[in-house]
Amino acid sequence: MNGSSKFYRTKIPVVRMVVVMKNLFTIRAFHKSLISLSSSTRHFFCSSSSSASTFAIKNVTKSNFESALNDLRLYVKDADFVAVDLEMTGVTSAPWRESFELDRFDIQYLKVKDSAEKFAAVQFGVCPFRWEPHRQSFVAHPHNFYLFPRQEIKGDDTSYEFLCQTTSIDFLAKYQFDFNLCIREGVSYLSRSQEKEALGRLNARYKDRLLDSSSCWREGVDTKLVRVADILFSERLKNKIAEWHDGLLGDRNGASQTWKTSNDSKQQLKTIFFKMRPALDLTGFTSHQLRLIQLKELKDCLCKEAEMKIKAAIGFRHVIDLLSSEKKLIVGHNSFLDIAHIYRKFIGPLPSTAKEYVISIQKFFPYIVDTKVLLNASTVCQKISKKSSTSLSKAFALLCPQIASGVKTSGLADKRLVKVEVQVDNKRSLNWNSGAKHEAGYDAFMTGCVFAQACSHLGVDFTLNPSSVDLSHHEKLQEYINLLYLSWINGDIIDLKTGERKADSICSKGFKAHHSKILFSNTVLLWAFPAKLKASEIRECFCKVFGSSSITFIYHVDKTAVFIQFSKQELVSDFLVLKETLERSNDPISVLHPLSKVLQGGRTRAASYEVYKQICSSTISKVFFADQAEAVGIEWNAKLSKPVLEVERQVDFEASENQLYTDTRNETEIVSGIDPPLYMHSPTDELDSLCPAEAQMSK
Amino acid sequence: MLLQRRLLCTQVPKRSIHPTHHQNSNLNNKKWAIKQVTKSNFAETLEEIKTHIFNSDFIAVSLQKTGAFSSPWQKVLPFDTAEVAYLKAKYAAERFQVLQFAVCPFSVKSSKIIAHPYNFHLFPRDELKMGMPSYSFFCQSSYLTAMAQEGFDFNACIYDGISYLSRAQELAAKDRTGNPLPRSYMKPSQSPTVYSVADSMFVDRIKSRIKIWKRTCQDSEKKTEDDLISTLRKIVSGGEVFGSRPSLSIDICSERQVQLILETLQEFTDLVPLLVPAKVGGSQAIRVVLTSSKEDRNVFEKELQLMEEEHNMQVRGFREVVDLISTSQKPVVAHNAINEFAFIHSKFIAPLPSTVDEFRSSLCSVFSHIVDVNHLMREIGPLNKVNNLPAAILYLKRRFTRPLHMEIPQHIDGDEVRVHGRDVLRISELFAKLCLILRIVPESPEADYSTSSSTLECYANVFNPCFISSSDLLDDDVNISTEKTRRISVANLVFLWGFRGMMSARKLKSLLKGSHEVFSGEIDVRLADRNCAIVVFWAPGFAERFLKVMNSGGTNCEPIKDMISEGLRAACYRTYKRVCELSIWEPSLADALEKALEEASDLPEANSEEELPAICWDNDELTNLDDL
Repeated sequence: MNGSSKFYRTKIPVVRMVVVMKNLFTIRAFHKSLISLSSSTRHFFCSSSSSASTFAIKNVTKSNFESALNDLRLYVKDADFVAVDLEMTGVTSAPWRESFELDRFDIQYLKVKDSAEKFAAVQFGVCPFRWEPHRQSFVAHPHNFYLFPRQEIKGDDTSYEFLCQTTSIDFLAKYQFDFNLCIREGVSYLSRSQEKEALGRLNARYKDRLLDSSSCWREGVDTKLVRVADILFSERLKNKIAEWHDGLLGDRNGASQTWKTSNDSKQQLKTIFFKMRPALDLTGFTSHQLRLIQLKELKDCLCKEAEMKIKAAIGFRHVIDLLSSEKKLIVGHNSFLDIAHIYRKFIGPLPSTAKEYVISIQKFFPYIVDTKVLLNASTVCQKISKKSSTSLSKAFALLCPQIASGVKTSGLADKRLVKVEVQVDNKRSLNWNSGAKHEAGYDAFMTGCVFAQACSHLGVDFTLNPSSVDLSHHEKLQEYINLLYLSWINGDIIDLKTGERKADSICSKGFKAHHSKILFSNTVLLWAFPAKLKASEIRECFCKVFGSSSITFIYHVDKTAVFIQFSKQELVSDFLVLKETLERSNDPISVLHPLSKVLQGGRTRAASYEVYKQICSSTISKVFFADQAEAVGIEWNAKLSKPVLEVERQVDFEASENQLYTDTRNETEIVSGIDPPLYMHSPTDELDSLCPAEAQMSK
Repeated sequence: MLLQRRLLCTQVPKRSIHPTHHQNSNLNNKKWAIKQVTKSNFAETLEEIKTHIFNSDFIAVSLQKTGAFSSPWQKVLPFDTAEVAYLKAKYAAERFQVLQFAVCPFSVKSSKIIAHPYNFHLFPRDELKMGMPSYSFFCQSSYLTAMAQEGFDFNACIYDGISYLSRAQELAAKDRTGNPLPRSYMKPSQSPTVYSVADSMFVDRIKSRIKIWKRTCQDSEKKTEDDLISTLRKIVSGGEVFGSRPSLSIDICSERQVQLILETLQEFTDLVPLLVPAKVGGSQAIRVVLTSSKEDRNVFEKELQLMEEEHNMQVRGFREVVDLISTSQKPVVAHNAINEFAFIHSKFIAPLPSTVDEFRSSLCSVFSHIVDVNHLMREIGPLNKVNNLPAAILYLKRRFTRPLHMEIPQHIDGDEVRVHGRDVLRISELFAKLCLILRIVPESPEADYSTSSSTLECYANVFNPCFISSSDLLDDDVNISTEKTRRISVANLVFLWGFRGMMSARKLKSLLKGSHEVFSGEIDVRLADRNCAIVVFWAPGFAERFLKVMNSGGTNCEPIKDMISEGLRAACYRTYKRVCELSIWEPSLADALEKALEEASDLPEANSEEELPAICWDNDELTNLDDL
């Protein structure tokens, strides 16, 4: 009771406001009073209850998908940009798959790829924004789609299998995610490649059947219908169908005569509806009988039906197709992973390299802008955000205080605030705030608001143009479009136009530019060493052998593996060769060797950085790195036992690395003065930071 | 199968809400009094189920998982040896998660089953923030959809499911934190220590510090003080409060000091020491709690024990139930035991070992008798086709009319239909029926259970997917046809793939028949999955001959040569086994075999003298793709 009265209390003012506004906006003279009125209404809202002061977001499930899609088509068509956001069932499939500072550019992509391949997207927020010049505000239509990879058509079962990261599921639960709604009512989808495959399979089967039946005819035209029972059966069936047909027509003519299928034929024939037309469901026949029926029925029909089923299974991909075909500016917040999910779920398997991937993604989404890049890269925005965290909710609260908390800032600042009016179905509000953080639809809305505000700070004047502004080609935004953080922790930005790392100074601002210091060719990966061996102890052992300044840093991948960077590249091969000789010989010298502490137990493995890439590119995900390496090892154990071979392989790898890092090499000398301990990761630090939920939150 | 199930569900979505309508068992018109257990009512239920477990003769278990197998060939197939079946079960158990664990302690008394069914909702929540019990798990959408159709509440499960740690994980957790208790209660060790000079100085210092602190505490109890002064005093004396009692923390820097302090404290009868564990293992301080009297000390020690138990329960969570079943030593009844117990072992005991023998011995140390109703059903011949529980129950009901009543004494409040976990009741019922038919359980109620256990013994702990029938145990009036099942060495099996397009087993057979003389004998052809077939050569030696012909590229045999040029490939059973050993879980068996062959070419040839086990070949039981 209480809830419903609250509902009425809040609903009435909203309606009144809309009516008032409709009357007013035609009369320009009253424009100012409109603002004051709406702001006073806002105060009214705030005083009642902040959570109740708003209507619910548009949630879309199976049941209202069709109608929501139709509405969305119009909104997207008119939109200036569309903000998107996804909620997933997890981020990393193993602790060591998290983003590390020591991840090279190509490995960062492999980690994102693994994440997008393994986890499911369970919520998809789409929020088209349109500038309304006569109202001097944006109109946003936030949509919150529940997705579930339900298998609607036969096919590759493995694509309907997904991973859940326990902490992420817990995180979603913390924000009251409705798992029941998602699983029961979530919209399913089919990627472009899945659809193509399904259609291909259908055609193949259809052709096969044709061949089959034609061969049947060739061999046994006579045998097929010579049996008396067969002839009788087909005749009886013909009669039944005719009877059924007449019965239905009789029905239409108003006669109440019904065809009692269940009594007549033990439910072998059941009236069902196929595409709004009555149809017969044939069950309980033997396969021989079915063959007889099928010979008479047209196979075309079955094929068409299957094709329709495939088309119907496309589901949510229609939304992606819509965004793609309209070529709208897509806005996301730290969205590289989101976009990778979109590609994997709705387009096809992810290419193996970042370069191929970006070329492909540009074909579908030519304009993508990331608010996280925008906030960190532009000096104007940085000044406003006062170098505080650029997590979405923080940025939203800072840039859009009037929406985030309903607080009206006074004077000059207010003028620069971009107004965003929210429309859900027929309800409208200028200070809508559902407050449901980490709900994809609301996150998309926040992202869009932040983007609109950032644009205004960058000098994009929405008010100038009589119609909408072409943001995709706006000169003020050009330097930010199609730039995404490949890895936030490294501050590495990928340029979607080229697929290369953006080493531009504008983007690394505010970052410790130390990632260029990492020399991958000097790095060795060491794993499965004796448990409880600390990084400092490993360092000590190595220093005893190669000299006190031989190790630049040691970095924990997890408790079973470390990266060791040598000061000189030769030391990598020196170490690998030494390790092998020590392991081969059993004499007292090798037992007393300082490295024996590390090699104790005989399971310790070492390899060059390139092996790390191999391990990352595997589809396997074991929790501990050492187990992972062992599992992947099947494929390259021959190579592993000969570390010398690895060293040789490294030479050709060097070429590709140079290609990627030509621009950073110059910086290397300049920053090389940085203190090594900066990169030292103590094992406990590493373990503490292994909370993916936090990683997601810091988005 | 799965797909069919799903389709069925979508056609009749309401079915699940009235499950009784479609049930054919005698559970039919009864309310499903299965107690649903989540975190909120777990503690009370634990006490309840404990008595039931110890008072019942058998315990049926049934698990609801988030998935089973990723492609048709990855499920346990009739031609799998125990080793292969285990590897498949292991793979599934490591990937998927258990969301519901139904436990039903039951007894069979003449024609009555007395059952106490419980269904526990589990979620692997990381209670200790250590990435345990499970970092991540796989879900198959078809499984989740099927659960949703039954009205399963995922929100309740995720928000309020019971977590757990396996035995191995609990040990690891202890290892990692030093001690899982935040304030562990401990008794000083008895060994006398020899004091060095430094030691006695340390002891003296501690002693005087404790005495001063005690005095201040007792003083302040007498007179009421200003809040500010008492706070200040607390800061000065380093005192804190533990619950309602005053306490003092003493920082320590070595295990030796711990020992010394504990010995010192023995002098004070009213002080209770507690160990504060450090983050990196070991302890960082000792907390001394002052109790007011001897009685108070006892009360406090009891409180601590309770706290420890509570903490342990939080750490072990649902595993407490598994441990109860284990300690009760009661026979555990399951359906498809190898799959269920692979899950139980990996989630609640320890990571799964690499061979079936290790698995069996590890499992036997925890559960003394495991009975698979599937194996019991195989005893009655024709049932081996009936792989689902309701159908099996229906069959038994038709054939053996002896009445058997299910009695569920527990009362459950609320009108909600509690259907989750009903398989556990079906297993109990089926087991009771089979026991009567196979005369495993004495029919007279007064007979001791122990006499029957020897009969049960021969059915327990069998994990072979094909169980060899021991027909002497059967009733005379039961008409069994076991002729269909024939034993065959796996050496006579050959996997074939790379044939053109989609082909039926029959077509393939006729194609092969005409191609080479090895096929002139009796052969069987079945499809293992969409594009891989298995050929059985009933005449010994023919499989080997055929593989030789294949390896030679089909020399002297044009039809085979043609097929090879079209892509035909063959492999022996050992390759199939290697696929599972190396975990080459490709979606298609053909691809997996292909990969295993590649691997094999890299490695030195495994000793071919290895003795090959035999399996049972059932003419009807293989995947028929028309049915898929």
